Amino acid sequence: MDTVDTSRLKAIVGEHNVVEDEADRYIYGSDSSVHAAMPAAVVRAETAEQVQQLLRHANEQGIPVVPRGSGSGMCGQVVPIKGGIVLDLKAMNRILEINVKDGYCRVEPGVIDDDLNRALKPHGFFYPPTPASSRIATIGGELGNNASGTRSVKYGAARDSLLGMKVVLANGELIELGTHTKVAASGYQLERLFVGSEGTLGVIVEATLSFVPIPVHRCLGIACFDTLDAAGQAISDTIASGCQPSMLELVDKVAITAVNRSMDLGLPDVEAILLFEADGMVKEAVEFEIEKMQAVFEKHGGHGMEASYEADDRTRIFAARKKLFPALSRYKDGYSSTALADDMAVPFSKMAETASKIHEVAERNGIVMTAYGHCGSGCMHTKILMDTTEPQHWEAARKAVAEIYEYVRSVGGTTSAEHGIGISKAPAWKQEKTGTLEVMRAVKRAFDPNNILNPGKLMDAPDDWFSATGLRYSPAAQGDDGNAE
Amino acid sequence: MATLSRLERWSDKLDVCIRCGYCYEHCPVFKSTRWETDAPRAKLALLYGMLHGELEPSDYIAEKLFECLHCGRCAAACSSGVPILEIFDDARADLLDLGFEPVGTISQTDHQRCAKCLNCVRICPHEARSFRDGKIVTDPLKCQSCGSCLDVCSCCGITIRRGFGTNPDEQREAIAGFLSKPGEDRLRAVVFGCSWSCYPGLQVSSLEGDAGPAECLTQITACSGRLKTHLVLEALELGAWGVLVARCPDDDCEHEGSPRARARVERIQSFLEHLGVDPRRVQDVVIGKADSAAFSTAVEAFLGELREIGPIRGSSAA
Repeated sequence: MDTVDTSRLKAIVGEHNVVEDEADRYIYGSDSSVHAAMPAAVVRAETAEQVQQLLRHANEQGIPVVPRGSGSGMCGQVVPIKGGIVLDLKAMNRILEINVKDGYCRVEPGVIDDDLNRALKPHGFFYPPTPASSRIATIGGELGNNASGTRSVKYGAARDSLLGMKVVLANGELIELGTHTKVAASGYQLERLFVGSEGTLGVIVEATLSFVPIPVHRCLGIACFDTLDAAGQAISDTIASGCQPSMLELVDKVAITAVNRSMDLGLPDVEAILLFEADGMVKEAVEFEIEKMQAVFEKHGGHGMEASYEADDRTRIFAARKKLFPALSRYKDGYSSTALADDMAVPFSKMAETASKIHEVAERNGIVMTAYGHCGSGCMHTKILMDTTEPQHWEAARKAVAEIYEYVRSVGGTTSAEHGIGISKAPAWKQEKTGTLEVMRAVKRAFDPNNILNPGKLMDAPDDWFSATGLRYSPAAQGDDGNAE
Repeated sequence: MATLSRLERWSDKLDVCIRCGYCYEHCPVFKSTRWETDAPRAKLALLYGMLHGELEPSDYIAEKLFECLHCGRCAAACSSGVPILEIFDDARADLLDLGFEPVGTISQTDHQRCAKCLNCVRICPHEARSFRDGKIVTDPLKCQSCGSCLDVCSCCGITIRRGFGTNPDEQREAIAGFLSKPGEDRLRAVVFGCSWSCYPGLQVSSLEGDAGPAECLTQITACSGRLKTHLVLEALELGAWGVLVARCPDDDCEHEGSPRARARVERIQSFLEHLGVDPRRVQDVVIGKADSAAFSTAVEAFLGELREIGPIRGSSAA
């Protein structure tokens, strides 16, 4: 849908909360992915009541609505593939309650992850899902994508900290799901249905989240490996040995090179490093975990190991991981990092093989790929580094994406560990979920019979990510004639 | 015919921007409006769009490009190494060549009010203002929107149309709103800081409802040198227990304004002492560039000190 009557939208949210200039629509039609599509208008909501009125109107008129946080997703989740309205939720950014006694907090969807943690810190607690983009990621976006981060190995993903939520359905009805209690046994766990739904079922206008105590002691270390395979084996062995890391991150040589070119951190020039952390209230317990992990690493040839409890040291080491994603564009002059085949999860025992497979696929197709991620939780990230002005590189990228996900399926892995599906991973995900797509369509129809909420995503997403939208790098990617195929 | 010739040189660097959006955290303009089009990532995307024929150059885009407080935090924080400031400079020059006349955050002179004293020309650390054909004019490519000119203009003849929360009038309103909330007996403080020194540490989410009201309101100035004495005194009069001014190291201030801020704080302290008010209620603190941790620590320490001193009219007041 290319046009909408904005006068009605302005009556709902106020004139100051609607933008429709071509430049605004261009910006809100893209995110951190390679995809782009133009919405007809961008609307900002400040209250749940406004969201209700807006959806009621959109449902009556059949206008697509795409809820959006900060637009930091890498797969095109918030790219309005069917036009319509982009619903910006960043102004709903109030932390409504921090209830330490009952162990929960209530927040609006536009609250920034880091802000929530700043607010929890004086109480001695933290909200653990925290992706690397926590400086800009909104809680609503994290729930919509079931985001997680470096500490997911111990503390889980967004769904694991969720107790309940308020959601506005497509017809404008406001419903309350879940509870404020730690446990809730019976009935359909509908609040979890919205986690990872990527804005296709409803608009989350409030979330009730649990939090955990900030550990008194954190020890972060680094271990070097001469082969990627050895690092991968060390990861699976660490988990199999019963270690309980609070962080276990793989960084391969491509990523090491990029980080060292971007930040003056002096990471060791080796084939792979593991960042490992243990935390706890008792130092001896943390020490126990650290020593246990180091013993596993040594068994697999790990060397150059160092670990520190000091905050400054940990901040320095962690900075390499926190800014790894943007740093990848520094790997090689003339190459850019593209968010393709960006994440997946595989069984622990396949971690080493997956890392090697990524490099093998890249080499065979004449591009560069990196293997890194929260491997302690089975999460593997990669990016495709290429000359984005070179059409042949795009063709190679298409092949590489298909090959990587075919491999992931073959070893019992899954298409997305934490970044979501969006557009670029939809073809692979649909192949993985062939048997349940119809069930998911039925669920979608039950909540959103007129298909207005982020239409054309998940089970209804296009089968070819490359031609699904005007790619951000369209002049080169789509050839001189501008055609995708 | 004018083209985007300067911008074309940056075509490869526009591809290098992976649009992670991490610059949002650092941009005072975005944090003020919360519209993504105001963030550095978006401005780079707009330039990409114009360069590749997906967008036509327009007055709207030109305005966006010239709405900037020039703190440079986006470029300093960009792990992808995109030379954002250089790209913006060239794009702005191209847009001017194309005939656009943006106002943006460029300081404007009201010629009816201007006394032609040339104080603004002398004080401008960026040589952006000059006296030409009987008028004071601003070079839009040189103006860094620091507000030094406004600070010395005795006839109020200079304006920055959109301050994004940094103009004194906007700040007066924000401070009055903050201090008008009920709860005279609770700690309330106002912190002024420049966009270079402390902005990255500020959160955009707000604590409300049962989570309790904030104890501290932070107001950002493009440069601490633009601190207004009357705003500090008004804040105290309206019930603030104290005011903290965060500023850059004197020799590291981009706009040569930090020493002015220090001098003002000293004068205010002296004035307070004269009135019998504890001068510790107004303090300045030097924060290194983008040292958000130091900023947070300094604010916490200041709030702690105020808790000991109490409210101005309280029993423990000075």
